[in-house]
Amino acid sequence: MIDTPDLIESLARDTRRLRPVRSPLARAGGWLLLAAAIMLLLGIAHGIRPDIGTQLQKPSFVLGIAASLLTGVLAAIGCLMASLPDRSRRWLLLPLPSLALWVSTIGYGCLTDWVSIDSTGMHPGEAVRCFVTLLVVSLPLSLAMFAMLRHAARLRPAALTVTAGLAVAAITSTALSLFHPLDASIMILIWNLGTAALLVTLEGAAGRRLLARFARLSSFHEKPRPG
Amino acid sequence: MLGTMEPPPSRTEPPATSPAEWSDLMARSQDGDAAAYRRLLLGITPYLRTIALRAHRNPGDAEDAVQDILLTLHAIRDTYDRTRPFKPWLAGIARYRIADRLRAMGIAASREVALDLEHETFAAPDTNIETTLDHHALRAALQALPANQRQAVTLLKLREMSLKEAAAVSGTSIASLKVATHRGIKALRRLLAQPGGGDD
Repeated sequence: MIDTPDLIESLARDTRRLRPVRSPLARAGGWLLLAAAIMLLLGIAHGIRPDIGTQLQKPSFVLGIAASLLTGVLAAIGCLMASLPDRSRRWLLLPLPSLALWVSTIGYGCLTDWVSIDSTGMHPGEAVRCFVTLLVVSLPLSLAMFAMLRHAARLRPAALTVTAGLAVAAITSTALSLFHPLDASIMILIWNLGTAALLVTLEGAAGRRLLARFARLSSFHEKPRPG
Repeated sequence: MLGTMEPPPSRTEPPATSPAEWSDLMARSQDGDAAAYRRLLLGITPYLRTIALRAHRNPGDAEDAVQDILLTLHAIRDTYDRTRPFKPWLAGIARYRIADRLRAMGIAASREVALDLEHETFAAPDTNIETTLDHHALRAALQALPANQRQAVTLLKLREMSLKEAAAVSGTSIASLKVATHRGIKALRRLLAQPGGGDD
């Protein structure tokens, strides 16, 4: 093991002028702008769902889409805040109220539309397009979020990555609701909760390794072997 | 191995000890001031060591934790917000790193068995010198050999004489010594390989 004073000496020699990272709110704002840009491009390329006018008159649809958007915004702010060592991890609880609201609107829609599943049924083509939308929205957002969270790779990042996954899932779900006419409530349930769960699970599992890789790429990370 | 416990005196100024000074030094470090950074790291090391010693009983583990915290601080020093105090930022890094290390050590402890000195020989016969070089068994096996073979093996292999010397001592020819040694070794090998062979 290297002596601590020697380590300090080598760290001091390695220092150079660097730009402090922006505040978590500014970074969350940047991330949401990216999300807005992706949605705008999708809207131009793909078009808003045809029945958006009637849907917007349904309070449950408006409430659900507002709650999922709010969950995405709050989860992004919460995990970027909590990723700093001097901020409380309680920031991770920030999206929970809107998450509960979002989940409850899905449940409500599911109950009221239960009987119409067979008449409106899902077509495979629509499902594939939905999945493409899902990937197009969630992949760049996930990468951007993990790049911003790379500093937290060595600060117990599991809960952070789960919340980051929730932010991506919520924004993706908002985009799906805007662009795809998924009236069959069971499909909405599968897409919304299923993709959220999948994203949270996948990113929870892969996030730690991904963050560590980002951290290695971006900074001095040479650790002497303990011995 | 344990690192030096006391930091050496700084080349220019004494290490910073007050948290207010730390915030200022960290801000200057972000601007690339190596001397300020060195003073800061030397100043915070005793504080980090106190925290680490609360979590680790072994001073070596504590010193590893201190270095881990210093390296992490270095890697993420651009996340320090100079409008905020430095000490809670540092304490947060220390808390997460120590928690992570304790968890990793707990996992390692649940999967590994620490070996003490008395574990250095194992139950397997190959690892025990007493079994592979059992003088009693060898002596008993030697006694079981015919006299000429015993003499040849004793002179050439145990006393390590040359063929010429052994021939002079035993009064036999070199050729017959060679034959007797070859047969004696073969017989010894057979005797010692028997289970319980050569036991007193």
